[in-house]
Amino acid sequence: MKLKYLILSFFILSCGNKKEERTKITIWHQMRVDERVILQSQIEKFMLTHPKIKVEQVYKETEEMRSGFIIAAVAGQGAEIVYGPNDNIGVFSSVDIILPLDTLFDKKFISQFNPKALTYYKNHLFQIADKLGNHLALVYNKKLLKTPPKTTDELIEIGKKLTKDFNNDGKIDQYALVWNYTEPFFFILFYTGFGGWVMDDEFNPTLNNYSMVRALEFMRNLRDSAKIIPRESDYQIADALFKDEKSAMIINGDWSWSSYVKAGIDIGVAPLPIVNETGLNCAPMISPKGYSVNKNISNEKLIIVKELLEFLLNEENQLEATKLVSTIPTQKSLYSNPYFTNNEIMVNSQKQIDLGRSMPIVPEMRAIWDAMRPHYQAVLNGAKSPKQSANDMQIDSKIKIKEMLE
Amino acid sequence: MNKTFLKNIWITILILPSLVILIAVVVYPFGYNFILSLSNISLTHIRDWKIIGFDQYIKVFTTVTQPNIYVIFFKTILWTITNLFFHVVIGVSLALVLNQKDIFGKAIFRTILILPWAVPQLIVALTWRGMFNYEYGVINAMLTQVMGLPPVEWLKGESTAFLSAIITNVWLGFPFMMIIALGALQSIPRDMYEAADIDGANWYHRFRYITVPLLKPVMIPAITLGTIWTFNNLNIVWLISNGGEPQDSTHILVSFVYKAAFNFYRYGYAAALSVIIFLILLLFSLSFMKKTRTAENVY
Repeated sequence: MKLKYLILSFFILSCGNKKEERTKITIWHQMRVDERVILQSQIEKFMLTHPKIKVEQVYKETEEMRSGFIIAAVAGQGAEIVYGPNDNIGVFSSVDIILPLDTLFDKKFISQFNPKALTYYKNHLFQIADKLGNHLALVYNKKLLKTPPKTTDELIEIGKKLTKDFNNDGKIDQYALVWNYTEPFFFILFYTGFGGWVMDDEFNPTLNNYSMVRALEFMRNLRDSAKIIPRESDYQIADALFKDEKSAMIINGDWSWSSYVKAGIDIGVAPLPIVNETGLNCAPMISPKGYSVNKNISNEKLIIVKELLEFLLNEENQLEATKLVSTIPTQKSLYSNPYFTNNEIMVNSQKQIDLGRSMPIVPEMRAIWDAMRPHYQAVLNGAKSPKQSANDMQIDSKIKIKEMLE
Repeated sequence: MNKTFLKNIWITILILPSLVILIAVVVYPFGYNFILSLSNISLTHIRDWKIIGFDQYIKVFTTVTQPNIYVIFFKTILWTITNLFFHVVIGVSLALVLNQKDIFGKAIFRTILILPWAVPQLIVALTWRGMFNYEYGVINAMLTQVMGLPPVEWLKGESTAFLSAIITNVWLGFPFMMIIALGALQSIPRDMYEAADIDGANWYHRFRYITVPLLKPVMIPAITLGTIWTFNNLNIVWLISNGGEPQDSTHILVSFVYKAAFNFYRYGYAAALSVIIFLILLLFSLSFMKKTRTAENVY
């Protein structure tokens, strides 16, 4: 008898506690901590006006998010919205897991954005970015350097003056310039400066040429002849040297700039120098970061996702992010906003974007990165000549592309 | 009869939850991985993949890869043996020291020595990577300032980068062996040593004929486990070498599989290679356990 009462009361309590079902929307992203905080506050604002909707953001490391989303979405699962750099789009649309956004949003809405924020693949829009760039630029410490170099000759000349051994112990205490030179992503800007580009219009690698050889030689000379950069520098070391004021300049992306300001460094951002030999600007790769929608989404959720994206991409929210994390917004109307026009970092960042080249979004790019890395490092190690390295990169990238697309 | 039947039913009910979990988390993924290894699944065939037989296995053994798969296999063996050797030697040696009766501050030493095991691998790897830096790393600072030796470009050379990963993993791995060995040593009855003393045995005889045989049944499974973990330890080699640097020369089989699957979406190829890794480790474990007769009672 007692058991019956117990079961009955449990049933009644369960019914009484049952909350009204909320539609859940999940966003997978690879945002930094400061960006995540902004996203969370914006999500909460959205949920206040939409009490029946629960939006959840889940952080995933870039590679984990990319492969995880592919596996999940192919199996009909995964987050409703995925956020990341636009080089994901080639792979995602190749395996048909994201929705063409030109079927979701009208032309008027799409026209609000800078065309560089809109990632098209095979004539369909697959991503709308809220941040432009993800690009490298020359960041300098104003305490150590008043005017940044405009050309590579100036860079070397100023660099020699800024590289110092204060206590004459034979060990350099302050370098002119640092960057993560283990990664080819950071090397591309020299390659473009010497007139090269990673692939042709048919996505074939174009790495074995005079531009590549000269760019590799130039980079090696900065270290071995001019001696204005450290012998060894990965991302962490470069970042630490600049934050400790042991380097006057750093080549780093827009994601890092706010951390230098927080570290108390009076920074300036300048476009990367012009290569004297070619007269061309060192052009970094530009890769906007934005939102795409899972193709498996139900019609009911699609309406909510549309509304949510319209909210997250609106002017107010983009301006908030720009102010807090120094990123370039994608709403065209914001480019005339006084905050943007009066901010030296923003203006120079925009200049660098204009000088940059869009990162190819096709899957072949992954194979090219992977083929470049070991041979590029071999030049820095002295294991290969620039000429040999350029040749090997080309051969390897073709093999890797073939393997990947087989 | 009826009672036995009910007992069997009851046992089945008790086993069932763990059986279901085992099937869900071990049998099903393993079976699915094997099926994928027989398929052509890749970036271009992710939706329309089909069974193609043993082609992926043939590719593993016959395709010229960059870096060469046989070189990677050799490096994996070298990586595993070197790590295991130092894990066991350092671990057992420290356990023997900590097992002595009159050591001042034994608990503190034990805690300090376990610390490497308690720190997350990511933190350990990135810290050691910084320590190996040519100009700013503490290792070169010691070499040059304390020992008067020239600095070493640890992360740039093929062999030195691989050695850096091994040093880091040795540091990380010895506490496990130490704890296992210490537990085993503490369970050896003291009167055995006392009896040996009466018989006139010296320290070597006591170690050779009492400590080693009684450590063996505990250490062999630990070494087997250690071999499997080290063989498949992606984290350290990947993070120390920053994904195979320099020049893709620091890969072991598991990091090569990771790259094939998650960087290049060659799921079928990666699945075939992971089945091969499984078979290598299975054969090793079975033959090692059989040869060392761990299952037998030592008393």
